[in-house]
This record gives sequence, C-alpha cells and structure tokens, in this order.
Amino acid sequence: MPAFLAGTGAAGYRDFIKSPLDLALPRGGVDGNSATAMSNPFREDLVSRSPAEPCSIVIFGATGDLTHRKLVPALYNLAVDGELPTGVKIIGFARREKSDAEFREGLELLNRKVSRSGHDDKIWGNFIQSVTYHTSEFDDPAGYKSLAEKLAALDAERGGKGNRLFYIASAPEFFDVILIQLKNAGLNEAKPGCWSRVIVEKPFGTDLATAKHLNQVVNETFHEKDTYRIDHYLGKETAQNLMVLRFANAIFEPLWNSKYISHLQITCAENLGMEGGRGGYYDGAGALRDMVQNHLLQLLSLVAMEPPTDLTADGVRDEKVKVIRSLRQWDTPEKVAANVVRGQYTAGYIDGNPVPGYREEDRVSPESDTEAYVAVRLLIDTWRWSGVPFYIRMGKRLPKKSTEISVHFKDAPCVLFNALTGGVPGGNVLVIRIQPDEGISLRMVSKIPGTSLRLEPVKMDFHYATSFGKGSPEAYERLLLDAIAGDATLFARRDEVEEAWKFIDHIEHVWHQSNNPPPMAEFVAGSWGPREADHLLQQDGNQWRRL
Amino acid sequence: MAATVILMTTAKTSIANMDTISTAIPEVCPELGIEVPVATIDSELRKLWEQDEARTNASLMNLVVFSEKPGALLENSAIIRELTREHSCRAILVEIDSAAEPSLRAWITAHCHLAEGRKSVCCEQISFYLTGRVTGRFRNTVFAHLNSDLPLVFWWQGELSDILTERLVSVMDRLVIDSSSWADPAASFTMIENCSQENSDLIIQDHAWTRSLQFRIGIASLFDDPAAQMALPSIHSVAITYHPDHRNTALQTLAWLAIQAGWKDLMSAAEFAFVSNSGVAITVTLTANPESAPLSLLILRGEGTDVRVTYQKGASHIQRQIESGAYKASSLSPADPTMPAELVALQLARGGKNSLYQKILPRFRAMLKS
Repeated sequence: MPAFLAGTGAAGYRDFIKSPLDLALPRGGVDGNSATAMSNPFREDLVSRSPAEPCSIVIFGATGDLTHRKLVPALYNLAVDGELPTGVKIIGFARREKSDAEFREGLELLNRKVSRSGHDDKIWGNFIQSVTYHTSEFDDPAGYKSLAEKLAALDAERGGKGNRLFYIASAPEFFDVILIQLKNAGLNEAKPGCWSRVIVEKPFGTDLATAKHLNQVVNETFHEKDTYRIDHYLGKETAQNLMVLRFANAIFEPLWNSKYISHLQITCAENLGMEGGRGGYYDGAGALRDMVQNHLLQLLSLVAMEPPTDLTADGVRDEKVKVIRSLRQWDTPEKVAANVVRGQYTAGYIDGNPVPGYREEDRVSPESDTEAYVAVRLLIDTWRWSGVPFYIRMGKRLPKKSTEISVHFKDAPCVLFNALTGGVPGGNVLVIRIQPDEGISLRMVSKIPGTSLRLEPVKMDFHYATSFGKGSPEAYERLLLDAIAGDATLFARRDEVEEAWKFIDHIEHVWHQSNNPPPMAEFVAGSWGPREADHLLQQDGNQWRRL
Repeated sequence: MAATVILMTTAKTSIANMDTISTAIPEVCPELGIEVPVATIDSELRKLWEQDEARTNASLMNLVVFSEKPGALLENSAIIRELTREHSCRAILVEIDSAAEPSLRAWITAHCHLAEGRKSVCCEQISFYLTGRVTGRFRNTVFAHLNSDLPLVFWWQGELSDILTERLVSVMDRLVIDSSSWADPAASFTMIENCSQENSDLIIQDHAWTRSLQFRIGIASLFDDPAAQMALPSIHSVAITYHPDHRNTALQTLAWLAIQAGWKDLMSAAEFAFVSNSGVAITVTLTANPESAPLSLLILRGEGTDVRVTYQKGASHIQRQIESGAYKASSLSPADPTMPAELVALQLARGGKNSLYQKILPRFRAMLKS
C-alpha cells in the first residue's frame, strides 16, 4: 500500500517516509548565520534547492555589456519563472552619469533583444521598479557612503533586515578598489541574521601572484564562504549533468579509471576570431589563460574527481581541487615542449569566407607571441588516473564552435573479434557535449547485417533538446540564484583558482621568460589546429577525435 | 518554429473476429492516423519509422490516457500533440464504451516536432477504441504495447470505475487523476487505496493539487522573508477563496498549511479551525465564489503582518504580497495552469515522488469527512 494512503485520520499524517530531497535541505554553502532554510516550513518539497531570500543586489560595472546582455536578463528571467524572491532590489553602480529612467531604458532595449523567454511588458514593468542606478567613481568613498545609505533605507523598509549581494562585473583593474571601498564603507559586514556576499567575475587574476593578491583582498573583505568566483561554464546544463552521469548511474563509475579508460579529450573549439575588438583583451591573455585556466580545468576536475562525500559545496570542491593539485607540473622548457603545443592561425577560410591570420587581426600586435590555440597533455597522478593522459585543446578560428568531453575506452582484448583481420573498428567512446546541442553519446561496435562477419561502429545519442523539449535556463540564471541562495557548489573556491594558476604559470613562464621557449606553431584558419598538436597525441598512439 | 505532422492514410483494416464495428469513431479518422489490426501494431509502427530516416523517435515514458467519455480519443490526440512538444513519450490513448457490443479498433500515428528548427523528433501514438465488457481485454491490450523499461504514467480521466483493478495499478509508476472531477472524492480515494495495496511505489498526481502549485510556491517564497517568518507564530487567520468546482484544491491547500505550520485541529463550532504550536487559535474562512479561478485568494494574517497570494481569473500571473508595518513588497509569478494538458505537462516536468501530496493526503481525506 502506498505510504500516502497510510491512515486516513489526522493522526496518521506524520507516518510517512521522507526522502532526502523531499525536505529540500540546505545544500552546500548555506550560511550558518541564516536561519531561513530551517525555519520556513512551507519550503518543503516545493523547490529542491536552498531557499533564495530577499536581498539587495549591487552590480558594479552596471553600464557594461555583461550587465545588459547577461545579468539583468538573467534576473528578469528568474522573475518570469517566479524564482526571484519577492522584495529583491537591484542597484546598478557605475561611473557614467545616468538617471534611473535612462538606466532602465537601456536595460529594456537589450532585454527585448536577448531575453531567453522574450519580453513581457507586465512582468518587466513590475521587475524594473526594483532597479535603480547609482552614479559613482569606483574609488570615490563618498559614492560608497551614499550607496550604504541607500541600502540602509532599503533595509529599513524590510524591517531592519538586509541581505546584500555585490556583483563585481567591472573591468578587472577595478576589482581591488571596489572591494577595498566596500570594506571601508562597512558594506562587507552583514547585520546579525543577515548575509553579505560577493560575486567576482573572471578573469580572477592573470597569474598566480595576481590571483593570490586578489584572493587576499577579497578575503580581507568577505569571508571565503561569502565569496563566489563565477565560472559560467559550471552553470551549463551538461556540466551540471556530469556529476549526475557519473554518480547517479551505476554502470559508468566501475569503468571510470585507468583499467578501462585509454585517455580523455576535452575540446573547446571556436570558429570566431577577434571580431568586435576582442583582440585588445585576448592578445594580452591568450588561450591558456583565457579558457584553460578556468573553464577547461573546471570541466577536467568534474570529469576526473573522486565521488564526493556529500553534495555540499565544500564536499564537491574538496574533490575537485584534489584533481588540480594532482596534475603533474610542466615546469621546465623540456616538459613544456613535450606536453604543450601553442599556435596561431594564419589566414584561411571559415564557412567559405576569408578570414585574416591572428597577427593581422584587429587590435592584435603584428609581432604577437600570444597563442590563439593551445593543446596540452595532462597527467593526473592519482591511483585512479595513473597512466591515463588527458588532452585539452582550445582554439580560435577552428572549423566550428563546439565544446565536448570524450572518454575513450580501451580496446577489447585481442581475441575473438579483435583477433580477426582488421580487428574491431574503433573502441568505445563516451562523448559529453557541453555546447552547442548538449547531450551524451556512446559509440559501440555492431555487426553489419549479412551473412559475413563485418563490424562497424554505431552511436547511441542522447540530445537534451530531443528528450526534453523545454529549454534550459541560461547559466547566469542558475548561478545568480545559487548565489542568492548561498549555494557555492558551482563556484570556484580560492584553492581551486590558485592551484589552477600554479599549473598554468609554469607553462606561461617557459613560453615568455625562459631562454629556450618552444616555438609557436601555425595552422590555417578553418583547420583543426597545428600538425604539432596531432603529433602530441600520436606519440601516445592516440588521435584527436573528429568533431 | 515547430511543425506537426500527422501521418495518415485512407486505408482501413477491419479487425478479425469482430462482428460489430462501432460507429462512434468515423470510418476514416486522420486525426488518429492509420487504422491497423491490433495484432500488427508493432510491425506497422516499424513501417511508419522506416518511411523517413530523418526522424528521431524519442520517448521518455509510456503515457496511457484513459477515458470513458465519448469523443475522448480525438480530444486526447490533440492534447498529446501539444504535450509531446516537451515530453517525449509513447502515448497510448484508450476510449471505452461499455454499453456497446464488444469490438476493438486501433490506430497508430506519430506526432512530430522540429527540435531547435533542425531535426524532426517524433513520438508514437497508439489509439484504442474498446466497446463492450472490456476489463481484461483492456488491461492486456495496454500491457502488450508498452515500451519496455520506460515508466508507465497512467492518466485516468473522470470518475473511477471497476476497470481500475489491483492488477492494472500494479504496473503503473504514476497515476494521474483529477479528484475535483469526482462526485464522491472520499469513496474514490478509498478505491485507489484498495487497488494499490500491492504497489507501494505508486505515485499519485492529482490535478486538484497541481492547481495550487504556484499559490504554495508563492506562500513559501513569501515566508523566506524574515518579516513573514517572524509573524508565523502569530498567524491567527487563514482565508481562501475558491471556485465551487475546486473545493478539493482549497482543502488540500488548507491541509498543506496546517501540516507544514504544525497546526493541530481545534474542536470548534466552525467547520475548520486550528491551534498553532504557540497556542494561537486560527480561524479559517473558506469562500466559494462561482466567478473565481480554482483558487483566487489566500491570505495568512499574523500580528501586524499580512501574507497574501492573489489571482485574477484569466490573468497570466499571480501576485505575491507581504505587508508588515510600513514594509510592503510584491512580485509576480506565473499563474497555475488550468487546462488538463497543461496540468499534466507541469506534473511531468516536476517529476519526483510527489511526497508532499502523500504527506497531506491523509489530513485532506480527514477534512473531506468533516
């Protein structure tokens, strides 16, 4: 008999079995100083996440593209779905003089163009009333003092309670000063029973030294548990599904080790180059720092980590950081030359259209030694992954836009079918597509129908869009809501960031500070990268997966 | 843009050993697809997929839609066409006419939609029209055409009947009902209780409960606000306005409030009254209004604080409001769906064990007896 029917009287209603998810227990990162999660009895089972409390959100860099294209549309879409807590106030903080009306007008213009769910005038009308603009230089104490007064007034409206979320979406050079000014104005400290949190956008430093410095400034201002270093890749549906795939299915984890896996590949291919003036930033960063240090190492840690002891933020992040910490360091020119390939594209064709070479791109130095392509062989020195190479490649002006993780299983033993002439055509490959066309596929070998024994690979393919017609929320929606709810699981922790920079810095130093840096490889725009990157895998008897 | 393709043919296959073919469904019924002999359904489905290799067959569940209402097959086929845009399934539609002579007709079709404007994704639909005494035939017909390994969601439309047997319930994963459509909900719940003795994992999804989802989420969200939380121990009154056809939705919402807040029943002259853990007596005002949506108002009043969720019939959003002294805040959130197809879509999208419903159901059933 189903539990729900046990007992029909009032006395029987407590006699049922609860599953852990039924109770919507607070997940990782929920502050100890917030009692809401435990004292709102109406939350049970309605939302399987930590509760998001009303708060004031202050966005620094409010006139920028990120605010207009991503952050405010994300908050609006949360409001559309009824996920944004009632009473949330949003304050845009920026240097340019603007009225509330002008600020709102600009936000509406972009929201109409980019909002995932379209633009509903009624919801927007209600939502935008909570948005105001605050003009101040980032280094002007008076601006922060008046911001504090504004926040205090909002707090007073809420009966003295005041939760605050500061989103630093400004240019990176202002991160320090904003944090220091917040501290000087006392805005980093929450009132009893409330919280004050900060979200910091990438890039989180440009090397280990700057990351450590920034971490120091952040941690002098906010507690680590209140610091949310955003990596929007972790807000993507498939990235979140990685842990589910590995730990909610019994069939994969027994195979997820060096006994059965030959190697793994993580590819992040972009077909764009330096359009829209992005060459100015990119030429100072390069593929390794721009993408590998954060997004791709985060994906690597999710795919390679041990099962966490629980699903709390620190439970998960403890295991992720162990992966990064276990990376074998490429800290000499010889090791870098043997395991890392950097490259720049020369003029070529993308989608039939001619495109310039990297050094001819807008705002890129003609003598640039910045890599627009990088391929790295990584070795993780743990029991599970001993001897299994992980290959990461990231490049601009590759044939198409695609981010995928592929797990290549070892070949079947050389008996039976594999002992026949020609053997088995290709091993099993599990592919996790991060973007676009999120999904998972598995390649296996099958017999071609007929009287003779011929084998061919076939593919089982799961597409999110096919199986689940409903679109996923934007990564920023999920991440903003998590930050409001105090769940840091999908945000990078200080030690993760610093360990990643430590690995990257060794390579950068060899490239830019050693006496015998490995050469810069070249490839034609629109091809799949330099030949040297192919050789990197061929040395191990592997090859890049064809996307 | 999504497109819908209904496969159709003019060929009609008569059913062997059936003396009487019901005339309730037209001879040719393009809405239901190709009429086929029951014994050949699987092979006909295979042929259907072979017609166009570009299509992808997607299915996450078996969805059986059962009705004894005349004309239900055509209505439900239209519902499935919409439902499959977001919920891939093998749909099995069943219409029963017990009064007529025994007969069985079957149709197959596929509902196809463009996924992201590129690929045609299709879901199979098998429709059965059964007449005469059908209990055993119906059950076996359904069993024979389930997609293996996929869960069975059984949507029972209208009043329960003796076709709902323990044997049938034993293979269900979810049973979708609408207790608001029942003349005697107390008796119907007892019937489900009797039929589900052997299926302890059965998940019940009641449209009456789903109709209050956004009201409940609204209340939960408002009580995240510290001002509302502080007022919770002092709540002294609950007011709910509902449509007379949806008293079950109002009572289930009331049962939910009482259980979650820890309110005990209070013996009083009133139909419903509670006492809180802090000893505050709570009055309940239930107002039936024929002009109302299923739920149109829910107010909790405490010391100096009002927490309110309101919905104007026909509006696209509900309003959440909190007033505590000078502090006032409000927001909009999506309205609860009202159409059966939307309710099922929402239930499927939320998934889970529906354990909160399991939790409130005994208290709700007790209220039905009040």
